[in-house]
Amino acid sequence: MSNIEKYNNVFKDVFRVDENELNENYNFKDVDSWDSLIHLTLISELEAAFDVMFETEDILHFGGYLNGIEILKSYGISFDD
Amino acid sequence: MFLDIDKRRTESPALTDNEGNSLTYGELVNLIRSAGKYFEPRTLIFQLCENNVGSMTGYLAAMESGAVPVMLSAKTDKKLLSDLTDIYEPAYFWTPADKAEEPGTGYEKIYEKYGYVLLRTGNRHPLNEELELCMTTSGSTGSPKLVRYKKGNLYANARNVAKAFGWTEAERPVCDLGMQYTMGLNVINTHLYAGAHVFLTSYNLFSGDFWDYIRKNKCTNFTGVPFSYDIMARLHFERMDLPFLTTLSQGGGKLTDARFIQLAEYAAKNGKSFFADSATTETSARMACLPPELAVKKTGSIGRAIPEGELFLVDDEGNRITEPDTEGELCYKGPNVTMGYALCKEDLLKGDEFKGEYHTGDLARFDADGDYYITGRRSRFLKLLSYRVSLDRCEQLISQEFGIECACSGNDNRMNIYLTDKDKKDEVLSFISKKTGLYERLFKIYNVPRIIRNDSGKIMYSRMDAENAD
Repeated sequence: MSNIEKYNNVFKDVFRVDENELNENYNFKDVDSWDSLIHLTLISELEAAFDVMFETEDILHFGGYLNGIEILKSYGISFDD
Repeated sequence: MFLDIDKRRTESPALTDNEGNSLTYGELVNLIRSAGKYFEPRTLIFQLCENNVGSMTGYLAAMESGAVPVMLSAKTDKKLLSDLTDIYEPAYFWTPADKAEEPGTGYEKIYEKYGYVLLRTGNRHPLNEELELCMTTSGSTGSPKLVRYKKGNLYANARNVAKAFGWTEAERPVCDLGMQYTMGLNVINTHLYAGAHVFLTSYNLFSGDFWDYIRKNKCTNFTGVPFSYDIMARLHFERMDLPFLTTLSQGGGKLTDARFIQLAEYAAKNGKSFFADSATTETSARMACLPPELAVKKTGSIGRAIPEGELFLVDDEGNRITEPDTEGELCYKGPNVTMGYALCKEDLLKGDEFKGEYHTGDLARFDADGDYYITGRRSRFLKLLSYRVSLDRCEQLISQEFGIECACSGNDNRMNIYLTDKDKKDEVLSFISKKTGLYERLFKIYNVPRIIRNDSGKIMYSRMDAENAD
């Protein structure tokens, strides 16, 4: 499985959304169901999927689908494949 | 005036929100007096709460005039709001102006302030003379059941909690818990009573905005439900530089022992105070608290009753327990005990059914010093093969043994165990079977993406069961 597939699967599981909704508009501010509990689950699932441990600042600034990819890249996860 | 707000220093700051509003006690008194004129005494008002000055204006004006607010979130699901409106037929709505259409159209606008509007519906029905406010029962989201507060409940609780915690006008509490919840309202009331500067916020703990807000405003007190502290642990708050934050207090459900120890030790090491306590909506929030200096020694304790209150235990026959370390149902007597419940608008005419005494449904014990510990939930038991099995105890056993999150529910035929960690399924099954001495077929293990919790962090067992029904 490519990293982008892994990433999308976590979002699909946590938010129960279709893949075609996952784009630059999928953000904390615009998605009503994105509450603290979802955020906690999302962060934990991503950490497990990519075997990383996020720093506090990254957890706080994980504000959307696209920006999450940038954060994971800073942990050495490549999305080029 | 409510909470003696008019007896505080007029030039001291009282309320600030994250929308740029800020009021001194003098300004707040004037606002309450002028807004209070529009709030008709002895009428029911649906107050759609946000944590801001506009929402507070309606609440305090209603308290001043003798109107009766029903505290609801401005984010209440539309279907639920419409059901509640049909059931209780409010005379007014106090609602954010940008959501003025949501309760229904054709209502007359009576008054507007700080982004909120007062809408008159034309409904009218009598209310009991003693009724002060109504709140939804925190454990059951989606239920129309309300707790009926009587006159004096909120004031008594604010006064006695402020005394027990030693709040002064130097406090700068941050309130992120919604004011429609018993704990959020308690943070606000106790600190206004103390003459402190209350910082309201709609930011959540996972946003950088929240932490910027408390840093900028040098907030001194934080109150969290157990889930708040789960988030803070996840954010490694022990590594954050928060020198101004001196008091952490707990409300809502019971912390796990591990979290309790973590908070007590963090506070002791960093010269901060950690207050463990116990609160229910039926007692207008807090009933008891543990002095911070005992937190390291007395893991899991809720301490003793607040001033003017009394905690006691009763056994299955209803007799008072006098021996230490004997389990019984936790009961409370005090001026903050509410009147009872409502399920329909006729119930709002009912008088005081609790009569100053509330049986919590929690099981507890007290130690030789008289400090109380909650040990479980009275109704959270199954009788598997006629053996009494505590669901809370099973949850504790599993999470302690495996260090994982789990939820247990079920009926007298079978226990359901929800796990987020799928690798542990077989091990958990054989472990719990051994611990309870009951064979494995009486347990069914479900792998779930998450343990569902409500806003105050309590596990929503009925939803977990519904979503995993086979």
